Amino acid sequence: MSAPGRRMASVTLSHFRSCFSRTAVGSAGFRHLSSTSVCRVTLQTKSGTEKPSSPWTLMAAVCLQRLPVISADCSPIEQQFRQMMQRMELEKSLLSDHELRLLEDSERISRKQADDYDSDEEENRGDQEIVLAQDLEDSWEQKLQKFQPGLRVNVCVKSSRHSGEGVRARSVPADAPLSCLADADEDLTSLERCLADPLVLVAEQQVGGDKLWLLPQTRWQEGETLRQTAERALASLPAAGLKATFLGNAPCGVYKYKLPKAARTESAVGTKVFFFKAILSDGGAPAAPSASLLWAKKSELQRYLKPAYMMKVERFVLAL
Amino acid sequence: MFLRSVCWSKADFLLLQVTRQAFVLQRALASCRATPSLQHPACASVNERQYRTMPTHGIGRWRHLLPKEAPKKKKDKLQMKEILAETDTAYGSLNVTVSGYDMTLVEHYSQYIHNLCNRLGIKVADSYILPTKTTEVMLMQEQGTKMFVDAVLKTHERVVQLSSLEAAACPVLLDVLLQNQPEGVELSVSEHTEAHFQARFKGRPELEGLIAQLTY
Repeated sequence: MSAPGRRMASVTLSHFRSCFSRTAVGSAGFRHLSSTSVCRVTLQTKSGTEKPSSPWTLMAAVCLQRLPVISADCSPIEQQFRQMMQRMELEKSLLSDHELRLLEDSERISRKQADDYDSDEEENRGDQEIVLAQDLEDSWEQKLQKFQPGLRVNVCVKSSRHSGEGVRARSVPADAPLSCLADADEDLTSLERCLADPLVLVAEQQVGGDKLWLLPQTRWQEGETLRQTAERALASLPAAGLKATFLGNAPCGVYKYKLPKAARTESAVGTKVFFFKAILSDGGAPAAPSASLLWAKKSELQRYLKPAYMMKVERFVLAL
Repeated sequence: MFLRSVCWSKADFLLLQVTRQAFVLQRALASCRATPSLQHPACASVNERQYRTMPTHGIGRWRHLLPKEAPKKKKDKLQMKEILAETDTAYGSLNVTVSGYDMTLVEHYSQYIHNLCNRLGIKVADSYILPTKTTEVMLMQEQGTKMFVDAVLKTHERVVQLSSLEAAACPVLLDVLLQNQPEGVELSVSEHTEAHFQARFKGRPELEGLIAQLTY
């Protein structure tokens, strides 16, 4: 880290605790994330030392990821293998208690219906005779019929009043059949798209003279750590309520940009951008889709990021 | 060599003498043979003779060639592994806890974490299992106020203890773990403290009562 001067910055992280669970799917379809991290940052600056300023401007960017909410569909080979394994396991398995009980009940019924049935010979089963295993199975079957699993692909209705730049506007009549409704997967600004893939937040920001698509970044200021800069970059985005958990204090990637020769001066050679990874814990209230924020899959990042930048970013963005 | 041959011939002669009277002394020999196992417990069986003067004495010995084994002692009380403190560049002892209702998923995920740490060069200090907690889901009956048992859920927990995790490797590891987390499984990363270690032991109420009585 080419921090200017002989500044001594020691960061001690104490009480690092985070809890990630995939059991409870919230209303917005997020993985429930809770983290309590107490980060004690102690900065000591040696007084009286000169700080030769480096010609590089330092910036910190945040790679905010929304993790997949549901597991991906299996490929055909995986499906075949899964079916084969299930058949094998079924053939090799022993009968469970419930299945044994079913067999006993059917035997008992067949014995009862035989002509030479003697009820005194029967062992008293108690409540097993009142509630047969078959009845239990039927009641469970009924409960299963009532259960409605959630949709794997979210569907959202687009009204004709929606015409943002980043949103494909389609006017949908009020009595349209279900197949007409837009698929949430195609709406790049929606957080509910592509539930099986991890998404990365990309923002359009003003850099130098032009507006570029890149991971949200901001300039480093004196007296703060790079991670705090990244947190500031996230907070300064127009989207409100994006709560994220940063995974550690160390950056995961770096991108170096040298200014064109004409613009280079003694004190400004270029910028170095350090990337920090964060996991989205809460999307907050669904804000109005703004044109400058996108949630993109790794395969779609190429369309928005510049090639040299993309080369550095794709090294640390995992799309497992 | 000359001396040896002389010895042999003498022994031969003696043997010949012995065998001539063998059939007379057979009964005596039989009674002698019954006892040698007590006198030579190291190697002799009832049917073997020692022949200690012979060069081939102890020809079949092999146990002295095996490496020395430490004496097998009774199982020690579970010692606590040293809890590392954190440094500027590495975290201290961390506990990665995997919990859920489905045991196959929980176990496979914890095995995946263990193998991943081995491959990435992260030292795994310990990996243990916490006792299963059973939860009974009781539903109110439709007619009446009695509750009946609807389902029995068992929560399984597996812990992988990492000894020192480099700060640069932490976001990488956590990202991979989170992306591969199966459904229905909860992942939790926390610092390992002595309280965690002591929680694994069962309480001994009678011992605590006796200690309280002593100190009272």
